[in-house]
Amino acid sequence: MATKKFGIVLDAKKCLNCKACTVACKFENMIHPGENEYRIWVTELELKGVYPNISQEYQPSQCQHCENTPCASVCPTKATYKSAEGVVLIDYDKCILCKACMTACPYDARYENVHLHAIDKCTFCYQRQPEGREPACVETCPTRVRVFGDLNDPESEASKVLARNHSYQLKPEKNTKPRLHYIK
Amino acid sequence: MKLSRRKFLAASGGAFAAAVAAANLSSLTAVAESGHGDAQTGEKGEKHIASSCEMCVNKCGFYAHVVNGRIKKLNPNPHFFKSRSMLCARGNAGAEEPYNPERLKTPLVRDGERGENKWRKISYEEAFQIVAQKLAEAKTKYENRSSVAFFSSEGLQEGSFQMLAQTYGSLNTVRHPSLCLSSTIQGWSSVYGVYPDADLANAMFVVMPGANRAEALVTPDSMDFLRYRPKGQQLVVLDPRFTNTAAKADRWYPVKPATDMAFMLGMINVIINEELYNKEFVANMTEGFEDLKAHVQQYTPEWAEKECEIPASEIRWCAREFAKYAPRSVIYPGRRTSWYVDDVAFRRACAIIPALCGCWDVPGGIVPKAGVPLKTPDVMYPFYDMVEERLDVESFGEFDNNLPDDARKEAGLPLDSVAYLGEKDGSWVRFREAVLRGEPYPVKMMMVYKQNFVEAAPNRVKTLKMMEMMDFICMIDIQMSDTAYYADLVIPESTYLERWDVVHSLAGIWPIATFRQACVEPVFQTKSMFEITAGIVDEMLKIPELWDDTDEEELEYFKEDFVEAILHAPIQDYIKYQVSGYENGYERLLKEGVIYKTDQGVYGTTKNDAYRFKTRSGKIEFTNVKYPEKGLDSLPVYRRARQPKNGQFRFILGRHGWNTHTGTQNNEYLWEIQKENTLWINSKEAFKLGIKNGDKVVVKSSVGEQSLRAEVTEKIRPDCVYYAHGFGRISKGMSLVYQKGASQAAILEDYIEPISGNAAMHETFVTVSKA
Repeated sequence: MATKKFGIVLDAKKCLNCKACTVACKFENMIHPGENEYRIWVTELELKGVYPNISQEYQPSQCQHCENTPCASVCPTKATYKSAEGVVLIDYDKCILCKACMTACPYDARYENVHLHAIDKCTFCYQRQPEGREPACVETCPTRVRVFGDLNDPESEASKVLARNHSYQLKPEKNTKPRLHYIK
Repeated sequence: MKLSRRKFLAASGGAFAAAVAAANLSSLTAVAESGHGDAQTGEKGEKHIASSCEMCVNKCGFYAHVVNGRIKKLNPNPHFFKSRSMLCARGNAGAEEPYNPERLKTPLVRDGERGENKWRKISYEEAFQIVAQKLAEAKTKYENRSSVAFFSSEGLQEGSFQMLAQTYGSLNTVRHPSLCLSSTIQGWSSVYGVYPDADLANAMFVVMPGANRAEALVTPDSMDFLRYRPKGQQLVVLDPRFTNTAAKADRWYPVKPATDMAFMLGMINVIINEELYNKEFVANMTEGFEDLKAHVQQYTPEWAEKECEIPASEIRWCAREFAKYAPRSVIYPGRRTSWYVDDVAFRRACAIIPALCGCWDVPGGIVPKAGVPLKTPDVMYPFYDMVEERLDVESFGEFDNNLPDDARKEAGLPLDSVAYLGEKDGSWVRFREAVLRGEPYPVKMMMVYKQNFVEAAPNRVKTLKMMEMMDFICMIDIQMSDTAYYADLVIPESTYLERWDVVHSLAGIWPIATFRQACVEPVFQTKSMFEITAGIVDEMLKIPELWDDTDEEELEYFKEDFVEAILHAPIQDYIKYQVSGYENGYERLLKEGVIYKTDQGVYGTTKNDAYRFKTRSGKIEFTNVKYPEKGLDSLPVYRRARQPKNGQFRFILGRHGWNTHTGTQNNEYLWEIQKENTLWINSKEAFKLGIKNGDKVVVKSSVGEQSLRAEVTEKIRPDCVYYAHGFGRISKGMSLVYQKGASQAAILEDYIEPISGNAAMHETFVTVSKA
């Protein structure tokens, strides 16, 4: 049965480190400012070289929505679960803040949302799905770093971009099979 | 019946039609002063309202998602192709502006010494009465309306403020361009008659001298240079700093500051001597080629290399590649070009290169901006007897301290006469100098709209001295900026999300026009500049002394055609009139936030034999025909700038993507990205000075000193240092950034570029030591 498999394909080379995605995410998902709570972030990778022969890259990241989910495996209350489209979600009512999932996540993608009294993380803006809208980070990005779509549908833009390019995933050795693909 | 041409409103029709958005606005109820609390407007339901951003000058389009009367989020507007359906960090963070707990919520009058931060709340009516009274006092006392200066900054409501200035009749309007881009406008215009754009979406070879489009975001350029970059495009960036733009470049040249012109002249030398230029274009479209050819013989790439420290081979490569890809090649004109005292000459050199290769008004080249024509009511303001001409005009004398001591000063060119002074813009630094001198007449009162010159203008000590000389200062803004902090009366404006703004044509290769409609009702019952102008003008009309130096009949026309027909009418009537030439123009604006004639790029408008460029000769001028009349060089002449002595660094400025000038740092969503600025210093230099990353350091110039933490980095030339704009604030009303990091205005010396009057903000040398 062909089900949807939501994923994001990223071209980090286009990233300006402008933080539009992180701010858009905060408003869309009502994450309070100034408290170092982030569902998504952009890392400045280490500067390479010595003046004047230098280069620098940025790495936008977030929950990788893994197929193999260490976060769900360790959750004692089954608060972490997967949607029909493979989106990893959290039932905030079931979360007891034991933080086992934070320890288990190889991508450090989870944080404690003190206002929800629960662990929180990226949901691909799941609330936007009924309207068929892209996640806020995808929609707002000035240079279109991210392409969101159904990776099971070969006609989706995300699948096409993935097919056209060589790509890699973060921490493949963890065998989590992330649904975020980075273009080489 | 009066003259019909004044009756523009007859055409625009009667009462404000029930607009989609406005119909949804419910009556206002009080809102908790906490700011972050829910806006309790009593309104229920969700809506999406099209409007445009004011977090910087680009006016990108968005749909405000409003839930129960409160803005939840701003989403990009897909119809708004100038901003390419995106919003940056600032644009997203704008949703916080109406609810910022440190907003100005009510007019405040000073209740203590200036800068003591003691204020008394008053009503808007009282505030308008005070302003009108003070305007009348100034006019009576000094018998000169120009004794009141009107400072303003860019925006869709700046026109409302200018209406107030015109009503009062002062010629001293001081706008922002001479702290920003007046030198590039002057430089490019002196060649093409206009300040054009570069078509980054189609160019194959791009040279960006200093422009930092990855951080100083400009739509559509910042999007185009990565998102729509044609395959194979080469991007060359000249910058003493390794910016995010340099990180994306194919070649980064860490050019020696103040020598970029040598690089450009070297390129011109190669293009001419290797006959790489477009002979047909040069013959048909340009003026002065032979003079240029003779002039640049001295500027060989080998000579340029010694000046700018970029290898001659690279200069040759750039010139050849530029010509190879022409006409799809550009030298990027740039925006904030308040760099050096010879900036206009440098921009002229930049502008000449595309003209040589015929990269003009074609896809991928340099393209004149097209606009969306709008109607403007023809308002006749009264003529007054008691008005003097601008205080910063040449005829009122020169100042001798506005050029640094080097070859550029010794050349005997006019010093600071500001050969081409903007009639409405003025020259900020020269204006301040003239106020301090107090001759030939005193300026004793200031009306300020949104312009935070205490932090934006160089040499803060002088700015504060000028403010001390004032009888009265009135500031209109949304937060307690550093300038508001030293005012006598502060009038809050509604944020851009709470008010209606008039239509503005955003000229460019993809021209559109936009406006603003209120997405929510004013959270704190504030007013727009349009309403503030109306309120003040109404009070002015009650004071007879304000009107005794004008013609009575003129005054009656003015009352009827301007006060009644425009100020007392809804601003929506004005907007409707502006777009009355477009079918359903107003309805389109309400629905989509934008009107345009075409969604394709506009090219080729100057490509016909009948076209006359707006230059003296009517052609593209390599040699400027009118400059010699003012004692200026007709061709760009390189004169060596002084360089820092041992132990000194040149202080350079720059932008980043998450704050605009000094206006956005006190927004929590942006503040959490950058909480204070740091001094970029090259790691080798830091080592010599014993400075480690994170050490507190003191940066000292001839006009002031600041302390902040050091960021020891490979990303800057050893001979310069840098820190970001907008920190080290002195206003306690901006608590997130109050005394955090360092102020630029405090250490910048106040030289000017004497042709455009632009501030020259890269001419300051500093010493750095461990605190």
